[in-house]
Amino acid sequence: MKEQLPSPEFNSGQYERPNQNWICGKAAEGKPCRIGSDAKGRCRATCECQPALELKEGENKGRYRCTRTADYGGSCGIGPRPDGTCSRPIPKCVPVRGLHAKRKLFTISVVAFTAGLLLVGLGGPFRSRFITPGKLSAQHATETFARLAGTTGDGCAACHRYAHSGPGGLLTAALAAVPGPFQFRALATAGPPAMTSLDQNCQHCHVGHSFHQPNVVREHSCSACHEEHRGPGPMAAPTDANCLSCHANASALQASYEKGKTLPPEEFDYRPAQGRVLFKTPRPAHGYTKVFRSFATDHPEFQVLADRLKDPDTLKFNHALHLTSPNIQPLPGRKLECRNCHKSDAAGVLHLKITYEEHCKSCHSLQFDAHNPDLRIPHGNADHVRDFLRSLPEQYADYGARVKGLTGRRELDDFVQQQMRQLGEQIASGEELERRVFFSDARTGPVGKVAGLGALGPSLFPGCAYCHQVAAAEQGAPAVVRPVIADRWLVRGGFDHSKHFKVDCVRCHDAVHSRETSDVLLPAKATCVECHSPQGGVASNCSECHSYHTPRKETAVAAQ
Amino acid sequence: MPAPLPTYDRPQRWDAAFDPQVTDAEVSRLLSVPPFSGMRPENFPTRLSLRDILKHDTRIQRYRRGEIVVRAGDHGTSAFLVMSGQVRAVLGPELPPSLLGRREPTRKGIFRVIAQLWANPKEPESFKTSQLKQDARIGARQNQGEEVKIFLQDVPRILDEHKTALLEPGEFFGETAALSRMPRTTSLFAESEEAELLEIRWQGLRDLMKYDEALRKHIDEIYRERALSSALHEIPMFRHLSDEALQQVMARTEFGTYGDYDWSGDYKRLVQSAAGGQRRMEPVIAAEGDYPNGVILIKAGFARVSQKFGNGDRTLNYLGAGQVYGFQEIVHNWRRPNAVVPLQYTLRVIGYTHVIVIPTAVMETVVLPRVPKKDLPRLLSPAEDQETTRPIDAGAKIGADMLEFLTENRFFNGTATMVINLDRCTRCDDCVRACAAAHDDNPRFLRHGPISDRLMVANACMHCVDPVCMIGCPTGAIHRDAFGGQVVINPATCIGCKACFNNCPYDAIRMVEIRDQTGAFLVDKEMKPILKATKCDLCVEQLGGPACQRACPHGALVRINLNDLDAFANWLKR
Amino acid sequence: MISFVKQRGIGLSFLILVSALLVWLHRRYSGAMPRLSYLTGWALFGLILLLSLYNARKKLPFVPLLSSELWLQSHIYAGLLTAALFAVHISYKLPTGWFEGILAWLYVMVMLSGFFGLVVSRAIPKRLTTRGGEVLFERIPSIRRQLQERAEALALTSLSQVKSSTVADFYARELKDFFEGSRNVGLHLLEVRSPLNRLLNKITDLNRYLNEQERATLDQIAGLVRQKDGLDYHYALQLLLKVWLFMHIPLTYSLLLFTLAHIVLVFAFSGGAR
Repeated sequence: MKEQLPSPEFNSGQYERPNQNWICGKAAEGKPCRIGSDAKGRCRATCECQPALELKEGENKGRYRCTRTADYGGSCGIGPRPDGTCSRPIPKCVPVRGLHAKRKLFTISVVAFTAGLLLVGLGGPFRSRFITPGKLSAQHATETFARLAGTTGDGCAACHRYAHSGPGGLLTAALAAVPGPFQFRALATAGPPAMTSLDQNCQHCHVGHSFHQPNVVREHSCSACHEEHRGPGPMAAPTDANCLSCHANASALQASYEKGKTLPPEEFDYRPAQGRVLFKTPRPAHGYTKVFRSFATDHPEFQVLADRLKDPDTLKFNHALHLTSPNIQPLPGRKLECRNCHKSDAAGVLHLKITYEEHCKSCHSLQFDAHNPDLRIPHGNADHVRDFLRSLPEQYADYGARVKGLTGRRELDDFVQQQMRQLGEQIASGEELERRVFFSDARTGPVGKVAGLGALGPSLFPGCAYCHQVAAAEQGAPAVVRPVIADRWLVRGGFDHSKHFKVDCVRCHDAVHSRETSDVLLPAKATCVECHSPQGGVASNCSECHSYHTPRKETAVAAQ
Repeated sequence: MPAPLPTYDRPQRWDAAFDPQVTDAEVSRLLSVPPFSGMRPENFPTRLSLRDILKHDTRIQRYRRGEIVVRAGDHGTSAFLVMSGQVRAVLGPELPPSLLGRREPTRKGIFRVIAQLWANPKEPESFKTSQLKQDARIGARQNQGEEVKIFLQDVPRILDEHKTALLEPGEFFGETAALSRMPRTTSLFAESEEAELLEIRWQGLRDLMKYDEALRKHIDEIYRERALSSALHEIPMFRHLSDEALQQVMARTEFGTYGDYDWSGDYKRLVQSAAGGQRRMEPVIAAEGDYPNGVILIKAGFARVSQKFGNGDRTLNYLGAGQVYGFQEIVHNWRRPNAVVPLQYTLRVIGYTHVIVIPTAVMETVVLPRVPKKDLPRLLSPAEDQETTRPIDAGAKIGADMLEFLTENRFFNGTATMVINLDRCTRCDDCVRACAAAHDDNPRFLRHGPISDRLMVANACMHCVDPVCMIGCPTGAIHRDAFGGQVVINPATCIGCKACFNNCPYDAIRMVEIRDQTGAFLVDKEMKPILKATKCDLCVEQLGGPACQRACPHGALVRINLNDLDAFANWLKR
Repeated sequence: MISFVKQRGIGLSFLILVSALLVWLHRRYSGAMPRLSYLTGWALFGLILLLSLYNARKKLPFVPLLSSELWLQSHIYAGLLTAALFAVHISYKLPTGWFEGILAWLYVMVMLSGFFGLVVSRAIPKRLTTRGGEVLFERIPSIRRQLQERAEALALTSLSQVKSSTVADFYARELKDFFEGSRNVGLHLLEVRSPLNRLLNKITDLNRYLNEQERATLDQIAGLVRQKDGLDYHYALQLLLKVWLFMHIPLTYSLLLFTLAHIVLVFAFSGGAR
């Protein structure tokens, strides 16, 4: 390129020595002395030449001659001093470091600074705040926790035993870790890790962690799922990956299955009822060891529905009729709604039990006398019913006195006799009455109005058998099978109705079409997946519904 | 306003006399002595008279007993004529290297190599006394006004242990080396107390040969006997010839030496003047368009191959030792006698060239019939013949500018030229540091030099094919390593005379003032600092070859053999 | 010798493939291998150690340990690979906390300074070559001094020759400071030519007030100004080429120190837990 600048001229007779650490201080001015600095950075400049003594023949003392080389100017005009020293001393300079040497120095100082920083950080008063990789969760961050855990200071040692050791202690602890720093194979081994010393420390407060299911084949450490140092606030719930480390692992589940086969089924029956009636499902063949990846995709169907189990309850109830019949009007013009009977419990999670007194009686009162509809047979105990029916006059008398307000004796007797006579017109005998009350279900017996009431108002009472399963007994009152209404169907997963308050009951529970008591109205998993899936947008993590930690059998039994 | 071009007169034949102090009286004395007495001055042209040749191209050298005249392996450009006294030539076994000022080649073992990490001296250019020890069997003496001469201490012992030949007055030696620039084959030293030799430099020898028949015949015989047969045996196309055919070829082969000036001083000044102009000043050996008279084989030195293009000449290539010119045209003419072609390129001397010419007739009758068809070059197409239809870069391996740059500066001489690609070089000096680490912490090159486009040829010894630095070393300190051919300076025998420093045209040699281990300068008896010549030695003592090339992180630096343009072109294309 | 383009191709494809492989392996196995971060950490540490071996190799140029070019290419691509390995090691979550924060910051600074050095090493040499005026960095001060002395001498000669102080005054006012030391380092790095142009314009402006002799002198001074500017350019760019390593190398040592502390702390505090 002709536009390029030509190289400046310089003395190319000397090598350039970038490998030297020290450069003559005068090099910047363009006149470095030829002696140069020594290796330690001290200027060695003395004089420009070393005078030579010339002794000609016949002379005693001789003369000193300048020996400066031609490169540096040749012989100087003045010449050496008479005593042999050069008359042109070179003023000493301050040697400077070369760029490489400067870099070396800078590197050393940076390293020293770093070492200092490490010492101050690790050895100083801010040690814990320096080392911690993130803030502790709210529960573990307090002084109370530290005190309860029996440690001094900031509580690090509650979990990390060697937290307050010096460098030697830390190194020993590092080498003593299991798996150790150099056990690469152990570090690479897959699977949920076993309990380490760190996890043992969790157990000082959190007792009884390890029980998940009786057929679990390997330990699962605390820290595998519960990550601390992830910031203040409550600790994050375990992620799906934690659960799937076993539940997506065919070999682990296969081993669990094998183990489960060897255990008696009662082992698995450990859930506390907590005052509820649990719908007990028999343990399935695969023992809950199906491999799956996520809720939305291949999480197994709820076993109740998968096995097509039926509600064995003996109480005959037709949801469809109750919800859709125009004849059932709790208020004028309104149909019966779910919430008219199913009321939330205090926490809102589940619903209160269905009882006759609260939910059925208002419509299904046991009136038997059309003329006295508010005289009702007591509900709940067959013996009481029989006794009632066999003491009708007294009942009427009591009724007349209390309800009708008849006070005179003769009035009362007249009343009683009148009622008894009217009853006798309807029903032949007391036995017939008793039989009708117990066994008539208005579908098998004569379709008659026992009480004979009109269209609206309390419904007819054909007989106990209309709702219950009644069996004749040889002695005593007929046996009415006590209904068992299960009020917890989804036993292995948690469900909180209060979180679903925005969702209409019929959206999930198909009660409108259910005519049989044996219908199980638990919605299918697909109904949940409509929302609880990546497509649906609502969280579908395992920990939304499940917990790893199930109580120990002993404590479970005690709670029951 | 640009500065006017500096002009430079064409270098005259005798701008620099061999020895300016040769007097007319001495010349007259020479003319009275054979073989000059037998020469006829009228055969010589006026501008190149015998007297003038003797005055400007010769000098008298006096040697005392034991002083070495030439060393085996040295490069010299002079022939010698014994005037008086006796000279011995060592025939066998060869004198040990240390007697010749060389150093035994030693490669450091791996431990010593690694030990350089901590064991390198802390002071620059410092030497231990052991490193400066010379062989005790030689000594140095310097007479007033003369060069330093090295002498053998124990001549009788040498004569006992080695077979020698005696040279009497009137005998020549060293002509082949002078004319063909080959290294000296034998060492010679003076045996008598005083020997007087006439040193004739090659230009003078060549001109004497040209105009004196007897001398020419004599040298012709010697040359054919000693140099030609081995030279011809090395040529591939003569491999298939029988001995008898080879004899025929040898008998008719001619040889010639071209060039009017030496490498260093004159041409350096030439290069600094107008570029391109000097090409017209270079003598032409064979011209484009002429009838091919013979195959020209370059034996030593270099020649430029160029072709007409537009109004100028375009350099296509340079030929070095072992390469041929004119072969393709002759073969074409031999195969197509009805469609003869002239020479396609012009051959010009660059500095100094020594060639062998095999006439066309010999080629056609003796050689070509015996060469297998597949070894012959292809025929020339008509398009190549026409200068108007040639594409601009026909036949060029590298760009014209670059080629010009290499040729002008004579860089093609180098077998290990340090070329730096400035577009990749980050000026980090890793190469210099590596060189220093491999040489007792002293770098042996300067990362600076002539630049063309993006390429810099640094001032690092190129280990030339034709090492001009080796001419004239009085002690044999600078020599070619026997193994690898690197040009190396032995610091123990170097006396700092600056002959090599002055000769080197590439600024590759630098003189340094040596110190002892404490850093004080070593001085001689007159308090003058001792100088040594230093230069790159291609890391001959280290493992793994030149450290600079290996140390460049960006692939910007390479030690490349510019004799082979293919490798260079490949590297450029990276 | 393979061409640079091919070299780059090989390096880049290696980098992309291995990075992709690392990311994929991490996604696949991080669930199944709870202690994967220990292994990625060891791999990262090993790789960084190998990278820092380059400095050691540079101290042994006389041992034939493969060419420095090969080492640098490996250093560059292995260095870029550490980015993927680092991202995988920290599971794409930036660390909170002081110690780990400093450690991550050190790594990022080393990485960025290295990348900066790579960019600079490829971009600047071409600029230097195009500009011309090749000069050895350590000789710049003495050349600068020479230029200054020559410029001053010229200014003074004009004073004595012409008996008018225009040129000398101009020199004292506008140019003296310019010749004193290295100037416009930042602007030269940004390839901004305005300082030179401004000075040359001033010189051109002055020309109309000068006679023939003075013009000749000023012309020479202008030539010196150009040379000085070229010298400054070389100074600035060559300085940058040397100074970036002042970041990269010391920080690497700091990184190594912190990493060692990190390894000890991690194992001591976790005891091998996930």
